[in-house]
Amino acid sequence: MSDGIKRRDFLKVLGTGGAGATVFGCSTQQVERLLPYVVPDEDITPGVATWYTSVCGECPAGCGIWVRTREGRVVKVEGNPDHPVSGGALCSRGFSSVQGLYDPDRIRTPLLKEGGEFRAITWDQAEGLLAQRLEGGSNHLFLTGRVGPSMTDLLDQFLSFVGGSRVEYEALSEAPLRNATRIAFGRNFLPTYDFEQARLIYSFGADFLETWLSPVAYQRGFARMSGVDAHGSKGRMVFLAPRLSLTGQNADEWVPLRPGCEAVVALSMAHVIAREGGDAGPYRAVLQAYDPANAETASGIPAREIEELALRFLQEAPSLAVGPGVAGHHRNATAANLAVHILNAVAGNVGRTVRLRQVDEGAAARPFAELRSAMDAMAQAGVVMILGTNPAYSVPPPAGFPAALASAGFRVAFSTAMDETARLCDLVLPDRHFLESWGDSMPRPGVFALQQPAMQPVPLFDTRQAGDVLLSLAARLGGDPGAATFYDYLRSRWAGIGALAAPGTGFDSFWRDALRKGVVELTDQEEEGPVPLRSPDTALSFDPPPLDGDGEFTLVVYPSSRFGDGKHANRPWLQELPDPVSKIAWHSWVEVNPNAARRMGLGTGDLVVVRSPHGQVEVPVWVYPGIREDTVALAMGGGHEGYGRFADGNGVNPMVLLPAEVEQPSGALVKLATRVSLDPTGRRRPIATIEGSSDQHDRPIAPAASLASLTRGSGEAGAGEEQGESGHGQLKEIQAMGGFAPVATEGKPQDFPLEGSRYGQYDPAANPRWAMAIDLDKCTGCSACVIACQSENNVPWVGEEQIIMGREISWIRMERYYETVDAGHPGPVDIRFLPMICQHCGNAPCEPVCPVYAAYHTPEGLNAQVYNRCVGTRYCANNCPYKVRVFNWFSFSEVPEPMNWGYNPDVTVRSGGVMEKCSFCVQRIRETQNRARIEGQRPVRDGEVVPACQQSCPAEAIVFGNIRDPHSRVAQVSQNGRGYRVLDALINTQPAVTYLKKVTFHEVHGGEH
Amino acid sequence: MKKPWSLAALTGVAALATLAFAQSREGGSEPPPSASATVQPIAFPHSTHAGQFQIDCQYCHFSAERSVDAGIPPVASCMGCHTVIQGRNQPEEVNKLRDYWARGESIPWVRVYKVSDHVRFPHMRHVAADAGNLECQECHGLVEEIEVIQEVAQPLKMGWCVDCHRQKEASIDCTVCHY
Amino acid sequence: MATAINEKERGALTHPDVGSFGQVNRDILKMLSRPGKGWWALFLVAVGGVGLFFSAWIYQITTGVGVSGLMNPVGWGVYITTFVFWVGIAHSGTLISAILFLFRAPWRQSIYRAAEAMTVFAVMTAGLFPLIHLGRVWHGYWLIPYPNSRFLWPNFRSPLVWDVFAVTTYFTVSAVFFYLGTIPDVAAARDQATGLRKKLYQVVALGWRGTDREWHHFGKAYIFLAAFATPLVLSVHSVVSWDFAMSIVPGWHATIFAPYFVAGAIFSGVAMVITLTVPLRKIFKLEAYLTVRHFDAMAKLILLTSLIVMYAYLTEFFMAWYSGEEVERSVFWNRLFGPYWWATWIMLVCNGLVPVMLWFKRIRHSIPALFVITLFINIGMWFERFVIIVTSLSHEFEPFAWGQYRPSMTEMAIVVGSFGWFLFWFLIFTRILPPVAIAELKEVLPAPRRGARKEVTAP
Repeated sequence: MSDGIKRRDFLKVLGTGGAGATVFGCSTQQVERLLPYVVPDEDITPGVATWYTSVCGECPAGCGIWVRTREGRVVKVEGNPDHPVSGGALCSRGFSSVQGLYDPDRIRTPLLKEGGEFRAITWDQAEGLLAQRLEGGSNHLFLTGRVGPSMTDLLDQFLSFVGGSRVEYEALSEAPLRNATRIAFGRNFLPTYDFEQARLIYSFGADFLETWLSPVAYQRGFARMSGVDAHGSKGRMVFLAPRLSLTGQNADEWVPLRPGCEAVVALSMAHVIAREGGDAGPYRAVLQAYDPANAETASGIPAREIEELALRFLQEAPSLAVGPGVAGHHRNATAANLAVHILNAVAGNVGRTVRLRQVDEGAAARPFAELRSAMDAMAQAGVVMILGTNPAYSVPPPAGFPAALASAGFRVAFSTAMDETARLCDLVLPDRHFLESWGDSMPRPGVFALQQPAMQPVPLFDTRQAGDVLLSLAARLGGDPGAATFYDYLRSRWAGIGALAAPGTGFDSFWRDALRKGVVELTDQEEEGPVPLRSPDTALSFDPPPLDGDGEFTLVVYPSSRFGDGKHANRPWLQELPDPVSKIAWHSWVEVNPNAARRMGLGTGDLVVVRSPHGQVEVPVWVYPGIREDTVALAMGGGHEGYGRFADGNGVNPMVLLPAEVEQPSGALVKLATRVSLDPTGRRRPIATIEGSSDQHDRPIAPAASLASLTRGSGEAGAGEEQGESGHGQLKEIQAMGGFAPVATEGKPQDFPLEGSRYGQYDPAANPRWAMAIDLDKCTGCSACVIACQSENNVPWVGEEQIIMGREISWIRMERYYETVDAGHPGPVDIRFLPMICQHCGNAPCEPVCPVYAAYHTPEGLNAQVYNRCVGTRYCANNCPYKVRVFNWFSFSEVPEPMNWGYNPDVTVRSGGVMEKCSFCVQRIRETQNRARIEGQRPVRDGEVVPACQQSCPAEAIVFGNIRDPHSRVAQVSQNGRGYRVLDALINTQPAVTYLKKVTFHEVHGGEH
Repeated sequence: MKKPWSLAALTGVAALATLAFAQSREGGSEPPPSASATVQPIAFPHSTHAGQFQIDCQYCHFSAERSVDAGIPPVASCMGCHTVIQGRNQPEEVNKLRDYWARGESIPWVRVYKVSDHVRFPHMRHVAADAGNLECQECHGLVEEIEVIQEVAQPLKMGWCVDCHRQKEASIDCTVCHY
Repeated sequence: MATAINEKERGALTHPDVGSFGQVNRDILKMLSRPGKGWWALFLVAVGGVGLFFSAWIYQITTGVGVSGLMNPVGWGVYITTFVFWVGIAHSGTLISAILFLFRAPWRQSIYRAAEAMTVFAVMTAGLFPLIHLGRVWHGYWLIPYPNSRFLWPNFRSPLVWDVFAVTTYFTVSAVFFYLGTIPDVAAARDQATGLRKKLYQVVALGWRGTDREWHHFGKAYIFLAAFATPLVLSVHSVVSWDFAMSIVPGWHATIFAPYFVAGAIFSGVAMVITLTVPLRKIFKLEAYLTVRHFDAMAKLILLTSLIVMYAYLTEFFMAWYSGEEVERSVFWNRLFGPYWWATWIMLVCNGLVPVMLWFKRIRHSIPALFVITLFINIGMWFERFVIIVTSLSHEFEPFAWGQYRPSMTEMAIVVGSFGWFLFWFLIFTRILPPVAIAELKEVLPAPRRGARKEVTAP
């Protein structure tokens, strides 16, 4: 379409790839210009994607990524299959990093504040000024977030040179867990958990599918563990927390724990297990006090429940308990984590599912405690430098961070985009995005990954990598850092790793391999077997923590699975991604239990003032059955002021409700600290949700099968398909000229188009039939696929008011249906997720109704949508029973420069007034077919075509391929007894997507769905 | 008295006919590049290079056989010859080239051949040995005889593509080009 | 004695108070003279409506269909509602003029002209809405089959393409039929008119002189067109109903839709005829020509069709329940008690309850009452289409994708404006064409005879 993606834009970049920014004038000219390279870049072929390995910088997990570039411009990131953490997958935040790179609100030049106003200056001036300040002052401070090992070393080296100290403040740090590990096992390092090996998981509120430690890796492990296997065996998860997070929604049982009671319950379980002969080591005495009876009074969980849980934890070995996550950081968080460690140790999980290493990462980082002392020291500090952390936003106001920062002599921010903290600084130095810069990461001991720039820095922004700036500063100050650029510095540090990893081979070849593979795994970091418990060296209280205030509800503040601590908030993709739990986009909400809401006469959308002793926010209610009656919850990441056009003014920042208090042993910020009251304002606001009804209304949409019914014999599981293919009997299809006649078919995807309707090029022998299978027993609803799809297919975002009008345009609708949710007492929880995409029906209702053949069936069985033919009657959408067709109500594709750079050149950008939908990534099918053809006309291999959603899925739930090939994986998986096709029994649409039923431990009532 | 009516009727029919005709020719996409578009920054004579000196198309348009884009030669590959060859016909044009090289700028060639943005044209499928062995000339005309590249008679419109696909029994499925 | 006979004759007359042919010419053609204040007031309103209509539409084209309240899953809203509404209105015209002509219904003559005009203008209005609702209206012509080098044709399986044919055919035929019927009257007007008007009428009248031969051909042509138009009355709205019935949307996918829609169309059409002729009668003092008897007849027709429509409603609900299909049941339950309950109840009351009053002769004979009742019916029928379209779409198979639709200001501006657009043409019509068929009226008047006048006016 005329305002489709502008080739011009690419060629522009293709020019800048070689020729620098000189060519930008051309885009404004009428006549279209072709801009060749001056000197060809050997690893770029115009029109062919070039991939670079790197490391995702969005969270400390450090997933390895592959960066897809076209004409020298990043268009997508994907997980690096060779990387032990990401294993080829990525989370929604990772996929959104492209929008971080092309954020139109990035800082364009160095800025100096004069009279409260920022003024653009040159890099030379900026560095000169900073150097002079550094020389002038003393005991400088450097606040950083989590940075790679090399950068850490450089910082320390630099600070020792200019005289100063470094403070690491990561708002979501797991300091209590780390400290508990030190106390329990003397290992000053975060343990790693083997979810895959476990058969029974007790999560005391650890959101390991969303934000906890290493969500992508853990989700993969969890999906493998909880997904039912060929022998009908399936691991189980019990969630013990006041609120069901996404992780909780994926649990099989929910024990709605009173907030802060993890320690009590964990210890009393340990007590029972110890009684059964488990070895509690030095804690034997401690455990005596925690027999289930006492625990019942403290936690409200019936003693027999605890007994039973404990015994199962012992029997269904290997089991695994994971401690309270960030949302559970209360005043005794370290004790709670220690209790969970004890439970694991007593049950003999240490060394099996809990992996420890004999490494010490130096003194335990005490993030918030250190930040507090740093703030006290700021008044004396000459220069305060800030990199990769945003305390002005993420620290509770009572701490008075802005005032402390103001007391410093000079304030400098290294930042890609202007944020709340940078605004408080005198000098703002635009940093490179991680996709433009060098770096490395150590996701776990012995695993090193390289971060390399995948493209030339976006020329709109005059940026310099912080590392380079430090080095040149050092040079200006007459020091000799031993390297001119951070690149050299990195190489010099990696020489050591090279020597260990690949002794013998020269460094350059090692470096090349490291860059190609993206990761180096040293083998000398053996994991240890069982490690005995040590007697505690710190005084700890296992009691439920005290809470401030006397409000009616306990406030749970949890890290958002979209924004983390809020640093990803300026990305429209994530803002518009419906929260996996609430399905609400753009704005904040407070989760309230239905009974509590009824009692207070509140409903979803009612605005309430959440008031704590420390502050208050006004936010709409979202009634959620997955939270205790005495608890309300708020997500982090909202309520930015001065972070960017997409973040500002959306939602609220729950940190203003918290005290600025340190959890003593670990030095973490206390997050579960206060009680709040809800005061209705009497006003309402429309909720920007994509959720129509979360009840299936007895329709065959997301049925489930009980494990028992599977083991009773796969035959029955197959017969469980009361909405199965058998329903159709003989199908009728229009015959050549003979009108309607019966056609024998079992209604399998591969049969369509049916005999008698195969004209011209519709020959089943000559064509594949693309099909997909999705295992709902693996799918966790994490919504990574939604963003991956958006990035791959140039799916626009529409904004809050459009979502409120019901005009979401995402191609994947992650549906979430409640079956069994009971916050009243412990019991099974059953919440179904279903990624709803275009089903590419064999009998597609959308096809016959399109008056212009914009929607039609391709010979390869795709249900195609030809954008440039569409006139926008929307009849197809009306007639689509799955409601997966979305309409461009306006020209949503017009995005601020340089966001359009992220467009995928292989996919048409849709203009206003046309219908669009999932295409099974037809561009990838074509790319593969083209490759196969020029590689000597070889056939396309099974598994060679990988749609973006399948590629992205951390749970490995999606399979795609040619179902006409009986040996293809998709054909095999579709045969599974759990297989069914949504609504097919009702309306004979013959979808190409086969879903595998979720498997539950409890009997499924209401006819399998 | 009947005249005005018959007249009106005739004009109506005529109008409809013209619309239909116009639409049948017009592929529903942008107009072809304006005449001024063909004034190139450097008067590059294809006739000399491809014709007189018999340089293979893909020597300069290097990626035609393996990519969707045919590839515009980097200034470097021009200089490959023109560092030594001054050229007899228009030495001043060669100097322009050398200036670009010296300045390290890319040459802003004016685009002549362009399909609409909603069309995917993979060169390699058309050029590569297997796919019907299309000669570049079949679409681009006798480049070796043309001094200044112009879009040859047939417009790059869908009807024209479909014609060829039908003749050569290539797929005429919409999603071969539109996705 | 003689009077008794006369009284008997009188009863047989359709227009007892019309004395002579001459009077007819005078009375009717009088309407074409200088317009009064009332007319101008109405005309200004109409022009305002047209302005609103097009400014809103242009705004939508330049900004995007998004300025409407449409959303996923409700892709069709008040635009298609209003389209169906106007197509429905368009029906009675042909019905009255063609079918009643074939059945020789004596009461048709004085109203059919207005009814036909209404038909033509209603189709002109209706035809715009499918264009208005398009996402890319500038490509709307792709629905028309025309030769092109891309070998691209419309999809003849799509009901929307059937619509294109149905509506255009209906427009052509009813326009020709309408025009043909006016020729003799235009000629009559021509003979009285002067200046520019005369010129215009001369062209339009095609030189009609009223010879026997002309009358003979006229009669033939007229009856032929009547016969030709009659099936269209049924076919057009059946096709329109298939836009819905051919889909799989619960609440749409029903076999009774064709008859159901046709009945509804006649229902609303006749109602609209009354709504329009009542003021016409008043303004132009046509009491002598549009007698209570006519309104009584139309009222009966309304009553009949109302019963049919009501029956259709009940059938829908019954079938939904009887099918035992959860989806169907859910949709119809949602209609009655869901977020759009008000629309459904408006529909039921206006189309089912209100017409019941027409059982009473007194009400059928009270012009004001009829006027009010028909207004209710017009509203009710508009909501019928709204209910069918919106409630069904908002509550389909996929519960997670359910959603509510709220019309936007722009949308309503276009809908309201369309009434201005219709009124605009209708008012012009009343000015330049005799709104009552003079010639045919004369057919049903007693032939002039000596002394007749005296008798008629006798007490």
